[in-house]
Amino acid sequence: MADDKQTNFKAAKEIGQKCISFSMARVPESGRYFFGTSDFSVYDVDHLAEKPEPKAFEGEGHQSYVMGVALTEQHVVTGGWDRHLVWWDRETGKQVRRQKAHAKWLRGVEVSPDGKRIISVGDDMIARVWDAVSGKLLHELEGHAKRTPTHYPSMLFCAGFSPDGQLLATGDKLGHVIIRETKTFKPVKTLDAPGHYTWDPRARRHSIGGLRSLRFSPDGKQLYTGGIEKIGNVDHLGAPGRLEIFDWEKGESLKVIKNGGSYKGLVEHIEFAPDGKWAVLGGGDHGGWLVFVDTQEMKITRELKAPMHIHEFNLNEAADKIYAVGHDKLVRFDLQA
Amino acid sequence: MKTSNNFCGSAEHDLSRRAFLGGVGAMGAGWLGTSAAVNTFAETGLNKALKNTNKRVILLWLAGGASQLETWDPKPGAPTGGPFTDMGTDIPGVRISELMPQMAKRMKHSCLIRSLNTRDGGHGGGAQMMMRGRKDEANLKYPDLGAVVSRELGRMDSPVPDYVNFYTSTEGRSSSKVSPGFLGARYAPISLYDGEKLTLPNIKKLDQITEGDHEARADLRDLLSRRFEQGRETGSVRSHAAAYARVHGLMSCEKLFDLSDEPQKVKDMYGPTQFAEQVMMARRMIEAGVPFVRVSRAWWDSHGQNFETHQELVPELDRVLAALIDDLKQRGMLDDVLIVTMGEFGRTPRINASLGRDHFATAWSASLHGAGIQGGAVYGKTDDKCEKVVENEIGAGELFATILEAAGIDSSKEYHVGARPIPLVNPGIKPIKEVLA
Repeated sequence: MADDKQTNFKAAKEIGQKCISFSMARVPESGRYFFGTSDFSVYDVDHLAEKPEPKAFEGEGHQSYVMGVALTEQHVVTGGWDRHLVWWDRETGKQVRRQKAHAKWLRGVEVSPDGKRIISVGDDMIARVWDAVSGKLLHELEGHAKRTPTHYPSMLFCAGFSPDGQLLATGDKLGHVIIRETKTFKPVKTLDAPGHYTWDPRARRHSIGGLRSLRFSPDGKQLYTGGIEKIGNVDHLGAPGRLEIFDWEKGESLKVIKNGGSYKGLVEHIEFAPDGKWAVLGGGDHGGWLVFVDTQEMKITRELKAPMHIHEFNLNEAADKIYAVGHDKLVRFDLQA
Repeated sequence: MKTSNNFCGSAEHDLSRRAFLGGVGAMGAGWLGTSAAVNTFAETGLNKALKNTNKRVILLWLAGGASQLETWDPKPGAPTGGPFTDMGTDIPGVRISELMPQMAKRMKHSCLIRSLNTRDGGHGGGAQMMMRGRKDEANLKYPDLGAVVSRELGRMDSPVPDYVNFYTSTEGRSSSKVSPGFLGARYAPISLYDGEKLTLPNIKKLDQITEGDHEARADLRDLLSRRFEQGRETGSVRSHAAAYARVHGLMSCEKLFDLSDEPQKVKDMYGPTQFAEQVMMARRMIEAGVPFVRVSRAWWDSHGQNFETHQELVPELDRVLAALIDDLKQRGMLDDVLIVTMGEFGRTPRINASLGRDHFATAWSASLHGAGIQGGAVYGKTDDKCEKVVENEIGAGELFATILEAAGIDSSKEYHVGARPIPLVNPGIKPIKEVLA
């Protein structure tokens, strides 16, 4: 069981932003990270510096919100609602390559653990596999339904590799997950977590929610999926954050964990402590939060209000700092002694 | 011959009216009871009579408030612009949201109003303002758009309703503010609420009465009425007979809700959603002579996840509106039917922390399509962030007057409540001449 002292984080340093930051990737063993924003830009910041000052990358870049950032040995690779992937030199911040990647809005970008492949997902409901260096398209992975059962467009929100890089999971608005092995990218399992999605057939006749985040456990046996509980009024993110844990190989839902009543909104991102004993969820509605989960007991051990809705975060190697980006702010959380 | 109060009294209109009624009469009793009879209204001779006499209006009521930034007034690249871009249209220089690719090809049939400042950001107040063109007075309730159109374009002796209001979702229904106001219940809408199987309420013939019995009863009533009318030429007797004819007609309207006889290619144009089906029904009603139909698409109130809500709802609106325009055009009716899209307000330029947009009545948009408007016109302008109107600001009254004029109704007309003259729009309010044909 996780020790309370291991998750006693507090907001330590805030950086105000005049935009929404949706995505980030951190340089290992440092406080430097790259983040993508609603002003269509990609920034470089060192959040451990005495006076951190985000610096924008140069180049044509994106023409819409930057929803995914991935880091390779040489490049920062970003993807946006403008359907494009952009490769940037990670040291100079200059644009190296820009290419159209999806027919509809691009939702996320991930890099394989070996750094050789980039995955992008978008609302054309296709996951695409790219060579991380050359940008060559390697695979197009279909299988997610393009429309919901009520005939509205679906959305492909997220993707994630297993820690050993042997598996890739993708998750959509309806809560459908496809897991593939990464030699041929053939599906090996599908899962469904419909509890993340709310369709209101009567009062408001539209939907909200969806499977927004996923993460394999460090041993690769479990898949954590994040979203939001069923919502009564779909005009708002008015339900607690929701985590559903699967034994993916058995196709079995092991546990659904709901945030406390005042921790409403979407689970936007999930990370595990290096020892795998606890996980941390980040997200929000009008406000934001971090929620810590004991992975053995499968229960919440701590809920922490954040200064803003968190769209993505990263836990450092020593598990004593969390760097979070979100609505109008960047925040560093430090573990308290 | 004394004309109904729906006509100006001119000989020309009387002739048209006789031609219209003659055409209907030639179809024989129960003409509305079959889909073929419904479609007969689209036939050339009768349609010509319709064209010469009356316009029709379909209001697509975007209940809850659609975002102008994700529809008619995009601001790509602005801090308030959101993630979607814009796209060019068939009118050079006019750009709309990328979520509306079908309408981008049909702006020549469309007119955009981008300068509404309606000053009421509440659902109830905003709906009242937009539906009536003004706020009620303490002792005077104004009729809404449908009631006025119904009063002006409907016929006392029409066998179909004058004002039909679809509102099948429950949210916002009670605050949607349909009301005949001082015009009275005669001009109240027939409201259709049941989302599972739409039909007019309380008009279904009892199962135990056969069709033959039903017609025989009507014939008997007609015979007795005609005998009673002999030598009693009064308005009340005629009204009594018209009321029976109207109820009898309403009972035959069920067929209008049955889309099974619509060709598959027409259904495919509109799409498979409930909103699409209701707009198809609205077209059938307009075709059958209903002067005003409101189809409410609730609920656009995207305080959270505005962009995803609009990713769902705008493409649906785009497809259905484009299909309606094409459908009316193919039937030769687009010059006679005015289509309006609006809700109670627009949405804030500011994007909140739930990635939502909130209520905003200060600078937003509506659209007009088809009859009586200048296709391709764009009226008014907002600033770079869509925070305020910078050119040709108008309120709800001006839009109300413009809709009336486009439908062929003189917006400077007055009604009387007792001895008090009540203008259709408040004094000083004028229609937007620049957008009228």
